[in-house]
Amino acid sequence: MAAIAAKDERQPLTGINVADFSWFGAGPICPQMMGLYGATVVRVESETHMDALRGIGPFPPGKMSYNVSGYFNNYNINKQSITIDLNTEQGHDLALRLVRWADVFLTNMTPRIIERWGLIYDELVKVRPDIIAVYLPMQGFDGPHRDFLGFGAVLGPITGFNHLTGLPNRPPTGMGTNYPDYIINPNHTLIAILAALRHRRRTGKGQRIELSQLESSVAALAPAVMDYTVNERSQTRAGNRLPHAAPHGAFRCQTIRIQAPFGEKDEERWCVIACFSEEQWSALRQALGDPGWARDERFATLAGRKEHEDDLERQIEEWTSQRSPEEVMTTLQAAGVPAAVVQNGRDCLEDAHLREREYYVQLEHPEAGRTTHDGPGFRLSETPARYERAAPCLGEHTHQVCKEILGLSDDEIADLLVAQVLH
Amino acid sequence: MPDDTPTALGDVRVLDLTGELGSYCTKLLADLGADVIKIEPPGGDPARDVGPFYHDEADREKSLPFLNLNTNKRSLTLNLDDPAAREVFRKLAPSADIVVESFPPGYLDSLELGYEALQALRPDVILTSITGFGAQGPHAGYLAPDIVGVAMSGIMWLAGDPEDPPSLPYGNQGYLCASIQAATGTMMALYHRDLTGRGQHVEVSMQEALLIAQETAMQTYDLNKSVRGRMGRRGGLPITVPGMGPYEASDGWIWGYVGAPGGAAWTELLKWLEEEGMAEDLTEEPYRPIIEQLNIRFLTGLMLNPEESKPKIPLLEHIDGVLARFFASKTKWELYEQGQGRRLLIGIVSTPEDLVKNPQLKARDWYQGVEHPDLGETLRYPGPPYRLSETPWRIDRRPPRVGEHNAELLSELGYSQEELEALAASGAV
Repeated sequence: MAAIAAKDERQPLTGINVADFSWFGAGPICPQMMGLYGATVVRVESETHMDALRGIGPFPPGKMSYNVSGYFNNYNINKQSITIDLNTEQGHDLALRLVRWADVFLTNMTPRIIERWGLIYDELVKVRPDIIAVYLPMQGFDGPHRDFLGFGAVLGPITGFNHLTGLPNRPPTGMGTNYPDYIINPNHTLIAILAALRHRRRTGKGQRIELSQLESSVAALAPAVMDYTVNERSQTRAGNRLPHAAPHGAFRCQTIRIQAPFGEKDEERWCVIACFSEEQWSALRQALGDPGWARDERFATLAGRKEHEDDLERQIEEWTSQRSPEEVMTTLQAAGVPAAVVQNGRDCLEDAHLREREYYVQLEHPEAGRTTHDGPGFRLSETPARYERAAPCLGEHTHQVCKEILGLSDDEIADLLVAQVLH
Repeated sequence: MPDDTPTALGDVRVLDLTGELGSYCTKLLADLGADVIKIEPPGGDPARDVGPFYHDEADREKSLPFLNLNTNKRSLTLNLDDPAAREVFRKLAPSADIVVESFPPGYLDSLELGYEALQALRPDVILTSITGFGAQGPHAGYLAPDIVGVAMSGIMWLAGDPEDPPSLPYGNQGYLCASIQAATGTMMALYHRDLTGRGQHVEVSMQEALLIAQETAMQTYDLNKSVRGRMGRRGGLPITVPGMGPYEASDGWIWGYVGAPGGAAWTELLKWLEEEGMAEDLTEEPYRPIIEQLNIRFLTGLMLNPEESKPKIPLLEHIDGVLARFFASKTKWELYEQGQGRRLLIGIVSTPEDLVKNPQLKARDWYQGVEHPDLGETLRYPGPPYRLSETPWRIDRRPPRVGEHNAELLSELGYSQEELEALAASGAV
């Protein structure tokens, strides 16, 4: 998708200014999307209150600095970075000058810090009456748990993802990532911002948006929630199975030898197979060569396959374990059976389909070099996302933003640098 | 009294041709005030057959996942394979700001209702297409239920413990994320249309919609040629680190992240154990000095040089054992609320029951009652994902019964009672 010449020179958010006071995962992704669609995004950090993702890898080989984290750099494309120490009075003044410039202010800092920094909505509207002020607290700005701590690693457990994902007789390990941070929370946030921008265009009025990460994430687990509110049944994790499909799961395939950083090693390979109808089950049987076991009466109906699912899975795995997941996928998809490779990070990068669609984006970064970034989660035919600049180095645009956006003179900037306000 | 605060999308009409894959997209639009007309095949959307059901009564009006995904919508049944039904759709299309569909690629074109045909009926229309893999590319024709999407996007590979098979994320997260991305793209296109008068085609592939949720797996291979595996309950730490990961409480599970930045130090946890008389020998040598070092620097050192930590393993395991006994002596809610009161990074592993009883969600009045007169009951739905001060999210209308608004919508289009009956008799509606 890189550098596609837009059919429409004007992008949807051209002319929209975003003051991005966020950090970690859940905060920065939303302003990044705004920047990809034309907004000017200024990311505010400081050396004393730096985005911790800058310190978490992966880093390119032989390089380790705050500017080369593949984690941070994937969420801060097209942004400018200014360092302001918000714990100083002058830093606070600069923040408000930035808010005066901004159409949208966004932060996922805790309510305590927002209040300490004087960046609550009532303060922002004093300098920018039509501001759209967006807060993403963990649990909300009110309520008995408003000051509870948590990052994504604790949010998964609190919101129910860990209890509901995985095998029933195993600990609640969950998704292995800070899952709600990456799509559910940032995209919910952007939907709300676009609604507010639309309202502002019609009425001239801004508004306050609050997205409690707890609420936004629990909204994504509705079936389990309603099974309790309506039926008072508290579901538990059920592995990879579904009540209305069988087989439905992950199956072991042939192991492969791979090159790893410290020599060769084995890699487990997996595929998924799912049958939602008798038609798909019968197609699966044929694709497997109509083996005798599959003609067993016990497997003739969905109810039977559910009842004998352990046996069913063992039989299918005998077949998959002698094949690569790629072979399983192409054979079964050709036969009309839903099947796929359980892809890992390497598989995704090498995925021929994604390559043909030019999903991944290569960007040149002054310190990290040429690296790969995730492409767009949605595509617009007339105003595609534009990937113009790799993530900024810490404070890379401090001078430029002070001068061009905040309207400071060179002398004023120098004084603020000396006073360690721009720090 | 009904809330009549203006909504953000009160002037927008959406024709919703989606099934399970796309229904959360149109729910998001409907809950912001759009007039969403759900067009279902006669007999209803097959998603109505997916449980759990209201009181376990398998009935097309009682599927709980379906109900949640279809709040605020109206239902029109149309058999789009029938020319007379397509004519009804064509009459409806000029009123549509947005059309959202989740058919296999090419299906709408085959009905002569693709993007160009829609543009002829409504020049500034926004068409949003949600599919498993997008319309182009070698996998475009693949069958793509949710599990195929989460497998191909790399997020399933990461879920679970390394010794177990990859785990399926609960709750059709592939469908859900494809829908969220689609709603974001649709809103972006709508804002652009408001400004320029031009519509466009929004395309979402479920696989692409999910890829960014791999966290660092893609970059780990891109930069270091190393495959990130399932890090499991210990978060990829090579040895047991007390306070990190899941622990059993007396009545369920909690999750610790003690020692990570932002929260109180391990010494605060030790103080708590002492106060409760459960610290055993942890206050003494050699344990206390180790506990004082259990912070992010220790963890970083551990990841960079696991060998150096080896001699400490038995000591750490002993500390972990004492801690596990302490956690097992209290309930998950005690550990969560009292631990957080001490600024310790401890989370409850919430069950659905915990979510519904959660005091924070209660205090913020999050769950939404929706009256279902036909059931004689008010059902409680998940509440707003976001709170907008001027243009609120809200549920004004319970989800529709199959074809509930056929007569209303057809008479709006100028069909007479006789024509309506003829359409019904032919199976078009």
